Amino acid sequence: MRNSTFLILFIAVLIVIIGILSIYSSNYQKEGEFWQSIYQRQILWAVLGLALFFIMSNFNYRRLWDFTYILYGSVIFLLFLVFVLGAVRLGAQRWLRVAWFNFQPSEVAKLMIVIFMAKYFSNKSIDDVSLPVERFGILRVLLIPLIFVAIPTLLIVEQPDLGSGILVMTIFVIILFLAGVKLRYFILLFIMAAGSAPVFWHFLKDYQKERLTVFLNPNIDPLGAGYTVIQSKIAIGSGGFFGKGWLLGTQSQLHFLPESHTDFIFATFAEEWGFTGSALLLLLYYLLIRQGISIAQKTSDSFAKLLAFGISFMLGIQVCINIAMNLGFAPVVGIPLPLMSYGGSSIFVTFISLGILANIAKERAVF
Amino acid sequence: MRVGIVHLSVAAIFLFIAAGVFNLQIVQAKKFRDLSDNNCIRLLPQAGSRGRIFDRQGNLIVGNQLSYDAMILPQDRPQIDKTLSAISLALGVDFASLKDRFRKGYVASFVPVTLEKNINFKKAVALGELKSDYANIIIQPRPVRYYPYGNLACHVIGYLNEIDHWRLTKLEDYGYKTKDIVGFGGVEEKYDYYLRQEDGAQSIQVDHRGRFICTLGFRPPVDGKDIRLTLDIRLQRIAEEALGERKGSIIMMDPDTGEILVMASHPAFEPALFINKPAQALSGLSESALVNRAISSAYPPASVFKLVLASAALETGKINLSTSFFCSGSMRIGNREYKCWDVHHAEDLRAAIAHSCDIFFYRTALLLGPQVLHDYAVKFYLSKPTGFDLPYEASGFVPDPLWKKIARFQKWFDGDTANFAIGQGDLLVTPLQMARMVAVFANGGNLVTPYIVKNIAGKDLSGYAEGHLKIAVKKNIINYVRQDLRGVVSEPTGTANVLAGLPVSVAGKTGTAEAGNNKTHGWFVGFFPFNSPKFVICVFLENNGSGHAAATAARQVIEGMIKENLI
Repeated sequence: MRNSTFLILFIAVLIVIIGILSIYSSNYQKEGEFWQSIYQRQILWAVLGLALFFIMSNFNYRRLWDFTYILYGSVIFLLFLVFVLGAVRLGAQRWLRVAWFNFQPSEVAKLMIVIFMAKYFSNKSIDDVSLPVERFGILRVLLIPLIFVAIPTLLIVEQPDLGSGILVMTIFVIILFLAGVKLRYFILLFIMAAGSAPVFWHFLKDYQKERLTVFLNPNIDPLGAGYTVIQSKIAIGSGGFFGKGWLLGTQSQLHFLPESHTDFIFATFAEEWGFTGSALLLLLYYLLIRQGISIAQKTSDSFAKLLAFGISFMLGIQVCINIAMNLGFAPVVGIPLPLMSYGGSSIFVTFISLGILANIAKERAVF
Repeated sequence: MRVGIVHLSVAAIFLFIAAGVFNLQIVQAKKFRDLSDNNCIRLLPQAGSRGRIFDRQGNLIVGNQLSYDAMILPQDRPQIDKTLSAISLALGVDFASLKDRFRKGYVASFVPVTLEKNINFKKAVALGELKSDYANIIIQPRPVRYYPYGNLACHVIGYLNEIDHWRLTKLEDYGYKTKDIVGFGGVEEKYDYYLRQEDGAQSIQVDHRGRFICTLGFRPPVDGKDIRLTLDIRLQRIAEEALGERKGSIIMMDPDTGEILVMASHPAFEPALFINKPAQALSGLSESALVNRAISSAYPPASVFKLVLASAALETGKINLSTSFFCSGSMRIGNREYKCWDVHHAEDLRAAIAHSCDIFFYRTALLLGPQVLHDYAVKFYLSKPTGFDLPYEASGFVPDPLWKKIARFQKWFDGDTANFAIGQGDLLVTPLQMARMVAVFANGGNLVTPYIVKNIAGKDLSGYAEGHLKIAVKKNIINYVRQDLRGVVSEPTGTANVLAGLPVSVAGKTGTAEAGNNKTHGWFVGFFPFNSPKFVICVFLENNGSGHAAATAARQVIEGMIKENLI
């Protein structure tokens, strides 16, 4: 299936180029070498990401099955390292400094959870298409994976990175659902979540609580937490049908919009390219996810199936949450827009995920 | 099956997001576009300065100096109250009234609101220090009028004030707007269109902290054109000092060109007061101080009119130079006794003019009849504005029998002719008309058009002046009367003999008009030096003057001129 590999690559590269153009635009007016070089760094990440894509697309995904627990352990270790270093340095920290690269373990954790869940709910043999859930009881179906997922989730939320934490939990629930877990377990999960919500609320940092309340009404604090949402909506809305034109978006160019090259890259893009651009971008993302889903549907290997579904929906949900956040439909929780937002970790993990998808498509074609 | 549900959910969320984008970018696009523009565009007015006014020597009479306006930019709404209270401390204005001014002055979020105009330099500095904490304070320097000579020549200059409804309706088509500052009276009003500056503006783009990014548009302010007057401010000062606290006016004019050298009027006003507190400036004025008595009010000319009468009588041949009448102090016309102010015995024209004998002119007028008197008055362009270039010039009035019949349903009596002869009754003239009339005798027969603006922005206006009219009276007649005017001063019994002792030879005519309530107006019109006149002077004292007092004031002016070497 060279066709679907090519399609995934084509769409991904297109989105990355759009992203680099928007990053260039958002920092175009900023002074300082650092800001001016940001788009160049993103090009570097993209090139490295492409390399990772080709490596992963030629790396038999089945070997991920073998490495799952090693992967799980190392990600937990990295998250723990972030936690400890954060505590030592008395400040919030989401990344580890590796040579010249700030590495975000929480990005890898998202993919790791997908791989872990896919392995947990599939059989070792490629030929065994039966669903393991049928044989499991409540303990093995719900509680054990919940504990496995909860450990990294808590570490991520504690970083603090509420968005990634929520995302990991969402992926967990979706894969449970796709794995065929009985609906009554979901009801149980829901009751557990509802019961523990007040406790979680207590553990949230003040600014995280504020973001959640401000989401309900951004106008209560137009200069604080709601400012970003208001400016983002102004940026998107003022783009109109055709947009203000590349490098001409006043909201992002003049720094009204914070985080214009990371979490709010969509607003930057939408301001300059208008509804036509936004609609096209949404279509591209949707086609990318569609492509992942169709790869999943065509494979007979239950691990590959869950992995491909997991990756597709992981991407889809990130896109949805991020754009919803830009539109003011979701609280500002710090989830990057895959392939567009500035940041090496996100780009790498996304390209690795897409590489796995491509490999699944390729391996299936072998049979 | 479950894959379908999840897939459908994701697709639904995508559609929902697409709908959200559609809502923001298509449905609410305009609203957000406006918000975005408001976010980053600010409009900074750039004031131009109004044209300056100079006298004929190039002395600055009206200039401009910088004044400061305190303004606030209505962006950062939540900060406004804090900023306003800080401003109220710095300016010493109470918070509530500042808040009120802000509310009333608000136009759009990117247009600054003026809170206080013309704050002094000290307060401007105090506000400037606040600027570091409150970025939306704007201190706008603005040129305002400045009058180095105080109220000197105030009626010629006029004053500035906010445009009123009447002027606005007239001037709207010429680009005037409400709240424009325009000239009221004098040169400021008449030449407002030239003096008027065009305010420019700079629209700039700012970032989220209000810092300057770039200029989007710039319309440079255009300064108004400078005007140079024919007025001589040194003469003006001498004349206003001679006038003192008396009501009235003094005009001096070049008899050959019509250039106005002096135009004083009292009571006067302080044009500078209108800059800050126009309402207060108006209420503090004494009666009709804004009226330029030299051109805007008409009075009975009294004996000064005898010059017209003498010209008429000589030209029509009703009398000649040797005709004489006997003055016994009074004569009976109709059923009333008409008095002369003295007993002059036998008088010829020369003596009658020198002594201003009423009996002589009663008799002469009765020979001529009222219609001829009227016609000659019109030949001297009485009852018509002189065409002077300041606004609100009165035209005066010349009666005739037909007018009386139509307007009053009354017959014209000989008594009316007698009153007409001595410039009383319904005859009304402005001091400027008298100055122009006497200029005819000074220059030997030319009716000049008086003007006061010499050039605008360096462009000479004398070519545009209406020029001179040859008066429709024979030149030798004018010259006869001219000779007689010298006698008024030079003869020991002449009514203006007070002017005789001066080193320059003055000629002229006095007049004392009854103003009712036992009050009199005093007139002196004349010219000097007699042989080649350079100056025409008209002194008018309202309500408590006599011809003698007016001649004395003229003497004071001429003495002042001699002292300052201005002749």
